[in-house]
Amino acid sequence: MSHTLDVQHLSKQFNQDLILSDLAFQLKRGEILSIVGPSGSGKTTLLRILAGLESPSQGSIHMYGKEITFQKANRRDISLVFQQPLLFPHMTVQENITYGAKLAGKKNNHKISELLKSTGLDRFKSYFPSEISGGQQQRVALARAMATEPEIILFDEPFSSLDPKLRQQIRYWVRDFLVNQSITGVFVTHDTEEAMIMGDRLALFHEGKFQQIDQAEVIHKHPANSFVADFLGGHLVIDEQNYVPLKECSLDPINEQEARSYNGVLQHITYQNGQAVGHIFLEDLDHKISLPLEKPISGEEVTLYIKESSIRTFGGSSL
Amino acid sequence: MNIKKMTFVMLALLLFIMPVLLLLLQSVSSPWRFQSGESFHFQIESFQVLWSAANLLEATLWSIVVGAGVLILNMAVGIAAGKALSTLSFKGKPLLEALFLSPVLIPVLAVAMGLHLFMIQAGLADTALGVILIHLVPTIPYSIRIFHNSYAQLGKHMLEQPVVLGAGPLQQLFTVELPLMKPAIRSVTFLTIVISLSQYAITSIIGGGRIVTLPMIFFPFLDTANTSVMAAFAVWFAMIPLAMYIIVEAFILLLPYSRMPWRNTR
Repeated sequence: MSHTLDVQHLSKQFNQDLILSDLAFQLKRGEILSIVGPSGSGKTTLLRILAGLESPSQGSIHMYGKEITFQKANRRDISLVFQQPLLFPHMTVQENITYGAKLAGKKNNHKISELLKSTGLDRFKSYFPSEISGGQQQRVALARAMATEPEIILFDEPFSSLDPKLRQQIRYWVRDFLVNQSITGVFVTHDTEEAMIMGDRLALFHEGKFQQIDQAEVIHKHPANSFVADFLGGHLVIDEQNYVPLKECSLDPINEQEARSYNGVLQHITYQNGQAVGHIFLEDLDHKISLPLEKPISGEEVTLYIKESSIRTFGGSSL
Repeated sequence: MNIKKMTFVMLALLLFIMPVLLLLLQSVSSPWRFQSGESFHFQIESFQVLWSAANLLEATLWSIVVGAGVLILNMAVGIAAGKALSTLSFKGKPLLEALFLSPVLIPVLAVAMGLHLFMIQAGLADTALGVILIHLVPTIPYSIRIFHNSYAQLGKHMLEQPVVLGAGPLQQLFTVELPLMKPAIRSVTFLTIVISLSQYAITSIIGGGRIVTLPMIFFPFLDTANTSVMAAFAVWFAMIPLAMYIIVEAFILLLPYSRMPWRNTR
């Protein structure tokens, strides 16, 4: 069976800048891919090209074996949820949700009312967008994209305007919806935690390329390069070739012959998931790490100890 | 009522309602002078003079036909050009914007004189179509400007959202763009019809006396000192933009997703 989405040699150039460089990936039906990377790395451009709002400089996009590279956006069975809700202000909540479904001839009153219920917007269905809160607006925008029941839904950081609690809820709701309807999803974010929750696979995007695509666990255990290790934050990058998992670093001296040490400054202590986390700047490596603290530390000067045997080499599952 | 509301009502009464009322009263009363000691004399002779003016009905009809034609063309060109200017980026865009505005920077009469020759060659002189086209010169720059601003205000993403949801260009125009640009449609309606109605010189040059519009029979009356007749004329004149506005407003109500004023769903 051919892939739902098959992207080959995709490149995009703006003037002199190469935004996307020879990208390639495939998605199976119902699979959810999280693309994570720093802001401004071109993730949004990739989504816009997949949605048909922009055309690539090179490369091809196939959906179920059929080329759609130059197909118009409104003819593609792909929906895009933008960062802002972008609701139509002159339509009620219900009309907004029905809009796309009506155009696609998929209007189904039962499904619409199901969507209204599951988003908790039933009570607000005859309200106008200006009369509901930002979080509710974003839920309407999600429901509107889902109501068209496309083959693929692309998400461009759709939860960034929600508060953490609501964000948590909606993440699972969106994920469950995609899984139940076996809709293929591409989810762009700069939040690694969100990327891991939403995606079956994780793609780390940087400098117009995927640095690594794999399951979160594999990427975490075997980062492909220093960017991946640094971005995920679970490792201490020693140089371009070598890294140490943070859990094998210690602030206490190690009774071993072959160990090395780095001097650092404890800049902050924060508390996450019931654990004190020390934010340490390592002067020798010009690098910042966040390390769980097992016991209270006095003073700012700290020394980080690493066993030589803990040092690993990059080169995990690349592309 | 708070102070702000009060001020608004007072200003509206003073600057808008009162003059209109005075105009209406003057049209149905004898000429009246300040401190002349005369009281209000009801009369409708002024309207009789108006009716008796040769080809008043014909001129009214031509004014409506020309006004409607100018409005339709302004909408079509304004929307297309406005959308292109706000969504496309290309080299020389500022120059093009300046060119679109240039017709109002050059005296219309100068343009009309030049275009007259072209109209004669093209067989458009002395025709309604010719008059409609020449009326585009003083109106279209404003329409393009208004729709350009309107599209810019909607923003690029709001225009992409319907596309992503599967709307074709026409569906998008009628379900999203036009309903959200109602204020612009209203402005363009009033502006173009009033400008078109007040053109005297260019209408007579291109119309060649065969297309007679209201100003052409209005102007000879300016000589009379009879303010009642002038008022009656002004009232008659004002009916056309008003009627057109009501018609356009009805069309706006027909747009998808319009809230009927008498129907509130909640």
